[in-house]
Amino acid sequence: MTPMVDLAFLLVTFFMLTTKFRPDEPVLVDQPSSVSQIPLPDNNVIMLTIDAKGRVFFNVDKQQTRAAILDKLADFYKLTFDEKEKKKFTVLSSIGLPINQLKQYLNVSDEDRKKMNEASPGIPIDSLNNELGIWINSARKSAPLFSLAIKGDKDADIPTIKRVISILQDNKANRFALITNLETAPTDKQ
Amino acid sequence: MAEVQQQGGSDQGKHKKLRAKKSSTHIDMTPMVDLAFLLLTFFIFTTTFSKPKTMDITMPVKDKVEDKDRTKIPASQTLSILLTADDKIVWYMGMDSVGLPPETNIANFSLTGNKSIHRVLLEKNKLVYDKVKMVEDSVARKLIPDDQQTINQHKAAVKADEKKGLIVLIKPDSTARYKNLVDILDEMLITNVGRYAIVDLTPSEKELIKNTK
Repeated sequence: MTPMVDLAFLLVTFFMLTTKFRPDEPVLVDQPSSVSQIPLPDNNVIMLTIDAKGRVFFNVDKQQTRAAILDKLADFYKLTFDEKEKKKFTVLSSIGLPINQLKQYLNVSDEDRKKMNEASPGIPIDSLNNELGIWINSARKSAPLFSLAIKGDKDADIPTIKRVISILQDNKANRFALITNLETAPTDKQ
Repeated sequence: MAEVQQQGGSDQGKHKKLRAKKSSTHIDMTPMVDLAFLLLTFFIFTTTFSKPKTMDITMPVKDKVEDKDRTKIPASQTLSILLTADDKIVWYMGMDSVGLPPETNIANFSLTGNKSIHRVLLEKNKLVYDKVKMVEDSVARKLIPDDQQTINQHKAAVKADEKKGLIVLIKPDSTARYKNLVDILDEMLITNVGRYAIVDLTPSEKELIKNTK
């Protein structure tokens, strides 16, 4: 039995070391597939998630960056966040709600946070209340070298996608990536 | 295996007494093995090895562009693809000029069949497509080193060099889905279309979509 046990432990160690736990995402997104082979970078990514209902969520990695972004947002909207709220913001994943709900969102329990995510309309993107623009602007200022990625759902509507791209262009972010699943390229046998 | 070396004694009675103390060094490993396999199963099922892939997009800088500075493209090489509801494509060659609507065609996203946009693109972009294929042949015949970066450079050079290649204007209608946009961008990659852009629809093109239904 010893060799088998050795092998089992070897595999356990291997899987334990290679597994990276994904943080709990507030939205489930079913990405379209493409033949593109370029992998998404592991870190330094500003990610915009657009779900099937057209709600926009914002996410960025690195805790310092998140803290810097929150500071800039607080400055812009004349809001104050205490240390506890700041700490909470840096450890959460995607955020997708109007800025006036953010403070409450950081203070409620995990259960309630889930409920708020479900009821949330996403970050407002319309031209009168372009909060996403402010988010992206703050993110670009805090982390100018981060790459941008859009993770859209298959069924997201074109006007929302176009609007998000247009907001990115407004913030001088003309290069970005669309996140897709891998599919095999068709062979050209007709 | 670890064994306790007994002091050799000739006395029979003493020896017997010592042997009675000697217990087995084997431990029952079953619970540990159970745990190991439990963990193994857990990690196997939770691990995903495939990382998400991305598609790079470069949009033009959004500044006011003077009319004379705009890129002029020959109408004869231009293929407009209008993405509409229900995964349907309306496409036409050339320009949509006032009073002279272009001949529109309906296509779909399938790879085969005579309404496949894939086949339309392959046919219209044959010039560039064949040249890119030649690069791949050269790789196969070891004329170009088999290194992804070099190959990509060669392909990009071929695509950019061909001035007579197809130019595709992708115009997603508001009724289309995001999937359609990604699919058509993907098709550009597959059929080696070098020059394409995502553009807004003109009002007359919205009419075109209505009329071709």
